[in-house]
Amino acid sequence: MELQLGLALPTQNPIQGLNLTNNGLECSELRRPSFCIESHRHVKNKRSFEESFEYSSKSLPLLVWNGQPNDEDDRGGKRNRNAHPANENNEEENRLVGWPPIKSCRKKKIHQQHPRFPIRNAGGMLAENGDRGSNSSYVKVKMAGVAVGRKIDLRLYSSYETLTNKLFSMFNKCQKPEEEKESFTLTYQAEEGDWLVAGDVPWQSFIDSVKRLEIVRSGVAEST
Amino acid sequence: MQRMALSFPEEVLEHVFSFIRSERDRNVISLVCKSWYEIERWCRWRVFIGNCYAVSPMMVIKRFPEVRSISLKGKPHFADFNLVPEGWGGFVCPWIGAIAKAYPWLEEIRLKRMVITDESLELIARSFKNFKVLVLSSCEGFSTDGLAAIAANCRNLRELDLRESEVDDRNGHWLSHFPDSYTSLVSLNISCLGSEVSLSALERLIGRCPNLQTLRLNRAVPLDRLANLLARTPQLIEFGTGAYSSEIRPEVFSKLSGALSGCKQLRSLSGFWDVLPSYLPAIYPICSRLTSLNLSYATIQSLDLIKLVSQCHNLQRLWVLDYIEDAGLDALAVSCKDLRELRVFPSDPFALEPNVTLTEHGLVSVSEGCPKLQSVLYFCRQMSNAALITIARNRPNMTRFRLCIIEPRTPDYLTLQPLDAGFGAVVEYCKDLRRLSLSGLLTDRVFEYIGTYGKKLEMLSVAFAGDSDLGLHHILSGCDNLRKLEIRDCPFGDKALLANAAKLETMRSLWMSSCLVSYGACKLLGHKMPRLNVEVIDERGPPDSRPESCPVEKLYIYRTIAGPRLDMPDFVWTMEDDSEFRIS
Repeated sequence: MELQLGLALPTQNPIQGLNLTNNGLECSELRRPSFCIESHRHVKNKRSFEESFEYSSKSLPLLVWNGQPNDEDDRGGKRNRNAHPANENNEEENRLVGWPPIKSCRKKKIHQQHPRFPIRNAGGMLAENGDRGSNSSYVKVKMAGVAVGRKIDLRLYSSYETLTNKLFSMFNKCQKPEEEKESFTLTYQAEEGDWLVAGDVPWQSFIDSVKRLEIVRSGVAEST
Repeated sequence: MQRMALSFPEEVLEHVFSFIRSERDRNVISLVCKSWYEIERWCRWRVFIGNCYAVSPMMVIKRFPEVRSISLKGKPHFADFNLVPEGWGGFVCPWIGAIAKAYPWLEEIRLKRMVITDESLELIARSFKNFKVLVLSSCEGFSTDGLAAIAANCRNLRELDLRESEVDDRNGHWLSHFPDSYTSLVSLNISCLGSEVSLSALERLIGRCPNLQTLRLNRAVPLDRLANLLARTPQLIEFGTGAYSSEIRPEVFSKLSGALSGCKQLRSLSGFWDVLPSYLPAIYPICSRLTSLNLSYATIQSLDLIKLVSQCHNLQRLWVLDYIEDAGLDALAVSCKDLRELRVFPSDPFALEPNVTLTEHGLVSVSEGCPKLQSVLYFCRQMSNAALITIARNRPNMTRFRLCIIEPRTPDYLTLQPLDAGFGAVVEYCKDLRRLSLSGLLTDRVFEYIGTYGKKLEMLSVAFAGDSDLGLHHILSGCDNLRKLEIRDCPFGDKALLANAAKLETMRSLWMSSCLVSYGACKLLGHKMPRLNVEVIDERGPPDSRPESCPVEKLYIYRTIAGPRLDMPDFVWTMEDDSEFRIS
């Protein structure tokens, strides 16, 4: 493992060990001269670095550590056994921490669309956001014949027309061109759970009660 | 060189040096010879300290006695994403205390990711007689009381910028502490403040400052007041609106539109919180002047955005939410030939399904249409190697490329392969790339490419990538100019880190969290490398309560000439260089 990686830790003098060129390793990338460049460029650093390593080579544990490769392997083995499950466990929780990498101030501002701020409706009149949290403005949309559903933010639309246009253009990519808008009907599931044809109530009442959307073939919608 | 230096009188050299503003050039000058070092240090007016723990205030003061402007950075970059625990550090207090005594003529303080208290702000207000610039970027720990002290005392203040800071908002009247005789304001950014500011105080303030060029308001400033504010500042160059929504009233619209058109110098717009699309046409008349447009808080849909950006022919910088969609980016590529910087943020990063049609196509379009594009931050949900290769070939002039595919370890959606080849192309073709953020499914191969080609790379962010130590080894051994490296959730461990220990001294910092570096390796590194501070951050308790082979939660390594820091909270442990030495 170590040899394949070409990362074997130094044996006697750590400086030599770091200068991996003498070790006859398989990995040609490791022979890139960057180590030498670095140490030449940073003359000051190099001195202190060497000093500290010279010192260590006399008495400090780096040598001991490397002098017992079996030990090292055992430790590595243990470490990996410990590390992986721990990592996996943390991952479920940690994935939310800091990922995706968005500054917290930005998250706050986008996600808390201020409840007292108005949202748009058909007449351009004001409507209070009411008890709708920011996230609940998202509803799922499915379209007959399209396997993958989508989610849309209803706050972005001001009328049935803008919504319908958007939905058709969104799903258009998956549709055969000859299939016209007319052959589909937008239906929605209202708060009570019933499926209704969109357009039968005022826009504001619609966005207050809609739970999900589905675009169905017109024949199907009429029969329900 | 040395002989020539000696032949000039010091005054001449000092005058020559005064034209050299670049920090790096000044650093190089000071390395020429002892006499240049001496001359340079006496005429260094500006210092930039990229890590407040890399040097002590007294060392800076001793070397540069005449500083007028100081910039300091505190917490690691990953603090932006909540990866650095609360209370970690980055306290500016010791710095302010020291420079208040040493630099009575200090004019500028710029802080980033630091903790500054009201007491420090009051000390600034009292100590510097000719104080001009205070920039607190992503800072915290202070309140509007501290700002009131600055307002009341700094008569020559030109710039007050609180961008992305977290301010304890106690008193909206702090703005009224600027005295009536105060007229020197050039730039004011209060966009981060949550509560309402006194609008009458704001109107009076900006009305009496004839040199005001930048004004960025907060969300609490209502749309119908913008026209009045703008009417007082026809000389504005940069303007950030507050909430951009209001009842639809024709007179509000026409007043706003007129006031915006009246600002003939206006080049930059931001704000647009809670934007109501009906009011967007108010900015149409000035679109062709704009070089910078920040719509990253504006939830408007693609069609409205297309109408807007299609008129911004001189745009150089656009920040926008993914509502712009591929169609909007197509329009951008057609209309904005001068575009240099594009940032596309996610509107709903935690949604499981895409809520917009924003894919790799949009970015490919922009890379084709905008020949000057050199800086990209792009959040999306799908990417392909083919797209990345096209982007890299289209834009070899790219210097910053940050791509975030929201779901970790997402492969090329066309081939289901890792994105190694795509990012490899980015580092290979973009020879001047200085900043790179990786995402998606990546193996050690991508780090081989980065190490081989990323010769100018200065900052690299890595998450959920790589297979083994070899990945980290490629980065550390290959990227000659790397200064900052931040890694999370990658299987990189002791060997790569220890084998490249010397490299760490050439870098500003290395952050590793949820990786495989053991506590033992951290200790070893700390002992062997006296110029590195090796700090283990572990909220589970002392790391020596676990086996040495156990990986540490978080690791922050930075070079320093100041030794271990003294303000560590109880979840940070520093691996001191001499502890074992002392015992033996």
